[in-house]
Amino acid sequence: MSSEGKVLSNIWHMLSPVEGGIHPREASRHHSDIGPGIIKRSLEDAGVSHSDIQLVAFSRGPGLGPCLRTTATMARTLAQKLAVPLVGVNHCVAHIEIGCLESRFEDPVTVYVSGGNTQIIAFAGGRFRTFGETLDMALGNILDVFGRTIGMSFPAGPSIEHAAADGVEYHQLPYSVKGMDLSYSGMLTAAKKLHLEGVPVADICFSIQETAFGMLAEVAERAVAHTKKNEILLTGGVARNNRLTEILEGVAERHGASFHRVSPPLAGDQGAMIAWTGILQHQAGDELPISDSHVMPKWRTDEQDILWRCRF
Amino acid sequence: MQILKKQLLTLGAESAIYIVEYWGMTLALKWRPRKPYIHNEIDKLLRTSRTSRECKMLTFVRTLGVPTPAVHSVDIRNHLILMDFIEGQQFKQLVNTSSKKRITTLCHEFGKLLGIMHMSDIVHGDPTTSNAVVDMQSKMWLVDFGLAEKNATIEMKGVDMHLLRRAYETTHWALQETMLESTMEGYVEISGDDAEAVLSRADEIRERGRYH
Ligand SMILES: Nc1ncnc2c1ncn2[C@@H]1O[C@H](COP(=O)(O)OP(=O)(O)OP(=O)(O)O)[C@@H](O)[C@H]1O
Ligand SMILES: [Mg+2]
Repeated sequence: MSSEGKVLSNIWHMLSPVEGGIHPREASRHHSDIGPGIIKRSLEDAGVSHSDIQLVAFSRGPGLGPCLRTTATMARTLAQKLAVPLVGVNHCVAHIEIGCLESRFEDPVTVYVSGGNTQIIAFAGGRFRTFGETLDMALGNILDVFGRTIGMSFPAGPSIEHAAADGVEYHQLPYSVKGMDLSYSGMLTAAKKLHLEGVPVADICFSIQETAFGMLAEVAERAVAHTKKNEILLTGGVARNNRLTEILEGVAERHGASFHRVSPPLAGDQGAMIAWTGILQHQAGDELPISDSHVMPKWRTDEQDILWRCRF
Repeated sequence: MQILKKQLLTLGAESAIYIVEYWGMTLALKWRPRKPYIHNEIDKLLRTSRTSRECKMLTFVRTLGVPTPAVHSVDIRNHLILMDFIEGQQFKQLVNTSSKKRITTLCHEFGKLLGIMHMSDIVHGDPTTSNAVVDMQSKMWLVDFGLAEKNATIEMKGVDMHLLRRAYETTHWALQETMLESTMEGYVEISGDDAEAVLSRADEIRERGRYH
């Protein structure tokens, strides 16, 4: 990533979990196995040499402890070898900042939906604050789990979207919104039951999408009405879904807000977002001494002072 | 309904509130319009059930001593509720302009009102400072009962208190500790020994959704 915000290279590799989801130890093995190769390839891709690197940023949290520690070790080693500053970045904040870079949004309400997260975040009082979130499962996780029960491969989001396009009949599923929070697990149980009852898969997928996205739209809308912000940013892996995008566009239109969906290469988890946020942070004077650079698996979005945004 | 003069007060997330003149009275008209981007069946169901729920709950919690606007009429088919207009200010706005002492007093009252509802197994469902109106006599009124529920369990009450805390965090960050403290005082004053289970559940809920 250049300091002007140009992505020079953004290589990623995702571990496809076998039955039963991701195991922390297996995932950190994956990171340590392929990490060095990715660093090497990205330098080649970007056409820069080690000596061009002026800053090393790493994801400090939130996330799985073993994985965070593996990459933190690589980042520390790299920063020390190259004698450049180290910056620790919050994963959720990075999703927002890379989305703002792409959209040129200044101060959006961010809808961040992925396999591990479902959050509505906005900047207020010097920090990014979580206005709403899921009380149980993340949206991406719901789609993957349902997909698995009906034999779709991981990740199931795209297959569900595809199947939903042929759905005709809406089957009522539990719709659970609590203020700006929501809960998905009841919907998942009911959807599994419909499947056992022999309801066509296309109709179930259609009903899941309409219900789950409808709930998300409502909490996002509540956050927009509440904060009176005029930009809505959709990011995270589930941002790929066209129906979700269409619904949130509707929300934006109703409130006179601009809408942007982060493009797939920058919406999922990747390194460019960490690098870019690291640059912003460093420009605001942030630097992490190696001795203090322990990872923070439970680092909450609102625990970091966002110094580079103090103009808002 | 025969309405003479209509003026938009606010456009919320799910409704528009109008101030209307009705037989010489100034009333508030809450309308839940259609949302074209939501599946029609879901949209209709939500607008209908929430309109009906809001009417029932506004009226019911009044009998418990929680000040709410009196409902004058309801039109379920068109998703309309006609109720008293409370002349005053949103609690949310007041926090920005009031002395710390006044804010503390109001939070205490807010906590008491939630406590009263919880003691009767009612949750508000969206207990934020937007949904409390303070009138000229400094009396606090609660509005927006579309998400309220009866027969509330500890879990549901815990969610209510979690939402309240988060509203303070996101909207009144500079004063959140003081506000939370006086709200809890008011809440505990009413709910006594029952408070502990609810508040520890609220803490648990707070951690639940987070990334792990
Ligand atoms: N009867 C009333 N008298 C005075 N003001 C009212 C009345 N009802 C509502 N309001 C004001 O209008 C605002 C919006 O009303 P309400 O919360 O019922 O709508 P909503 O669309 O459900 O809100 P939300 O955006 O939280 O979903 C309230 O925050 C309050 O300030
Ligand atoms: Mg409201």
